[in-house]
Amino acid sequence: MSIATHTTPSGYLLPSIHSAPPFFTKQINPTTRSIADDHWTRIILGYARHRRLFTLRVEDAETSGNDWDEIFRNERINRRLLPDHLVSLISSMVTNNLAVYEPPKQTRSVLLYWRRPEEWADVLHSWVASTGQMNTIMTFYEITNPPVESPLSSLPIVILRKAIDVLSKSGRAQIIAIADGEGVRFFPGPSKT
Amino acid sequence: MDESFTFSSQKSPEHQSGTIHLSTHRLFYIDSQQQATQSFALDLAYVTQTDHYGGLFSSSPKATLYLTTPSSSDNLGSGTSTTAVPAFESWECEVCAYRNPPGLSSSAARICSLCGVPRSAVPAPELRATSLPSSPPVSGTITPVSHDPTISIACSACTFLNHPSLSVCEICSTPLPTVKHSERSFSAKSAPASRPRSPDDETVPRMIKISFRKGGDKAFYSALKRSLKGKAWENNERGILSERHATTRSGINGILRVVESSAQNRENDLQDSLQDLEALMNKAKEMVRLAADLNEKLTASASSGPSASPLMTSITSDSSALVPATEPEEATFIRSSLAQLGLQMTNTPVTLDMIKDDRKWFDELARELAGILQDSSRSGNGSTGTGLLGERGILPLDEVWGGWNRARGVALIPPSTFLQVIPLLSSYTDPPIRHRTFASGLSVLHTPPFTDAAFAARLSGLLALSGPKTTIEVAQEEKMAVGLAMEMIDAVEQGGYICRDDAQSKITGGSGGGAELRWWANIFESYSWDGHSNIS
Repeated sequence: MSIATHTTPSGYLLPSIHSAPPFFTKQINPTTRSIADDHWTRIILGYARHRRLFTLRVEDAETSGNDWDEIFRNERINRRLLPDHLVSLISSMVTNNLAVYEPPKQTRSVLLYWRRPEEWADVLHSWVASTGQMNTIMTFYEITNPPVESPLSSLPIVILRKAIDVLSKSGRAQIIAIADGEGVRFFPGPSKT
Repeated sequence: MDESFTFSSQKSPEHQSGTIHLSTHRLFYIDSQQQATQSFALDLAYVTQTDHYGGLFSSSPKATLYLTTPSSSDNLGSGTSTTAVPAFESWECEVCAYRNPPGLSSSAARICSLCGVPRSAVPAPELRATSLPSSPPVSGTITPVSHDPTISIACSACTFLNHPSLSVCEICSTPLPTVKHSERSFSAKSAPASRPRSPDDETVPRMIKISFRKGGDKAFYSALKRSLKGKAWENNERGILSERHATTRSGINGILRVVESSAQNRENDLQDSLQDLEALMNKAKEMVRLAADLNEKLTASASSGPSASPLMTSITSDSSALVPATEPEEATFIRSSLAQLGLQMTNTPVTLDMIKDDRKWFDELARELAGILQDSSRSGNGSTGTGLLGERGILPLDEVWGGWNRARGVALIPPSTFLQVIPLLSSYTDPPIRHRTFASGLSVLHTPPFTDAAFAARLSGLLALSGPKTTIEVAQEEKMAVGLAMEMIDAVEQGGYICRDDAQSKITGGSGGGAELRWWANIFESYSWDGHSNIS
């Protein structure tokens, strides 16, 4: 079996190590394992960004036919990622602040931070600025489901809230209670003034 | 030895020629013509007196055994067929309906192990013939077993109708009167058919004459005396009697006694087996001496050379076994087989009293161990693989310790001393043998090719060259035990030279029982990312 890169049907380029059977086994040696885990993390986050996936569940490795099939299963070498291996991968990602358990207090499902909240905050702020919505009050729904496709489309509210938190700390946004829930008003920010 | 039998002053025509065997309990006669039908055994317990006649001119030597007259006119020799059967089948107690397992001793099988009530279904003749031949009074108090279970015994005190197998009243514990049964004409099926059973048996002293036509009488007679003196059957009988006494009581007390007596039996068995072990140790000493002799002779003959020196001839004359076997191949063979047994000694073992200084003592021990491991006496010839280490480069510590002590034979080395000697070993061995402990705690001695680094290099080379391998394949390649290979590979994995591929992660056919682990050269170490670049 040759070890080579592979492009999935969705257009994601899998690294060559994804075709090596040992990659799908949880390594015992700590050094080897951390290398393998790093590669796995990179594949998962890269794929999540590629497909705009935000949640990852342990069930995704237990069953087939979901969004993650392309990376958790490699039919060409007859290998798949075992659920307990995924559990340890997830926990190491959470430790490295690349994901967060959502809902909290469980370890079966995470929100993936393929952008950190700080990065999301910048993206959000620049999107608001570019669409000319400064100083207007917007609902969360308006942000995540804009009429025109944006980088923030279908962003989970949890991440959005964290991004807004980051912005409000630096005085670039303010949460406002409105009739049916919460709204947010963006300011040009101290950097611009 | 050939012999013929004389029973009651007549010669026994059926037992004209055969072999006599003697054990501590019995005398066996194996007929040379009709082994199956004419052979028999005689319990030595019946022998009261013996006589030896040395033989004169044409009359052959004879041994006469005078026998007791048993209470009933039943057999002396008990055939094996009648005694063996009842002990080896399971049976149900009539009182408590407990199903007793088979395989108990013949005495235990007659008593229910739960409630202690004697088994009623055992036919009485066998019972008497096998275990209680010399104690008629005791057997009288035990209720003779009737084949008609409807007969009950009325208690003389409370008139309760008791089961016939009970010896005391079930209600008031008064001893029950014994019922004598008239049908006591016991006869065992396998009693020697030849023995004349005449009515005047009671008056004529019973005896057996054994005539030794082909000699062996003296040896037989002394063995017989020894067996009779030993009275091994009495020990046995005492055990049975006490057991029987205990089990006449039923109830909790009876059960407790059964438990007690079985514990006692176990203890006895244990002592017996330990005695065996001591005997084995004695034998081992002899074996070591033999090996030493053999080795000495080999050395002597080797040094004397192929030319027939006086020394050589003296060896050939006194030892017939080893003689012309001074040809090099055979000598080598003997030596190597001795070495494989660990019974190789070039000189006598070093003991503590030979050497005063502790340090020197360990040094000497290390030298000796090195010799055993690598066969230093032959290292000059350049031949390898004759020591305990042999062609293997790695040996578990326990095997080394066992082999060394076997080679010493006397003044065995305790493990603590052994462990102190091991660090000194490398300076006396060539190539140096070193000690290594694996993560699991397994300790080995090994030659340089089996150090962690050397093995790791070899293994990763092998994996790189011929692809992934299972542990078993590696073990075959390295010619070592699978368990040992596993330890070595684990150590290499710890070092990060290899990585694993578990077949459990297979999509199809992975979760079955045949899931195996394959070892790969470490593909992660030299890998650099060639996947999707994250520019969105």
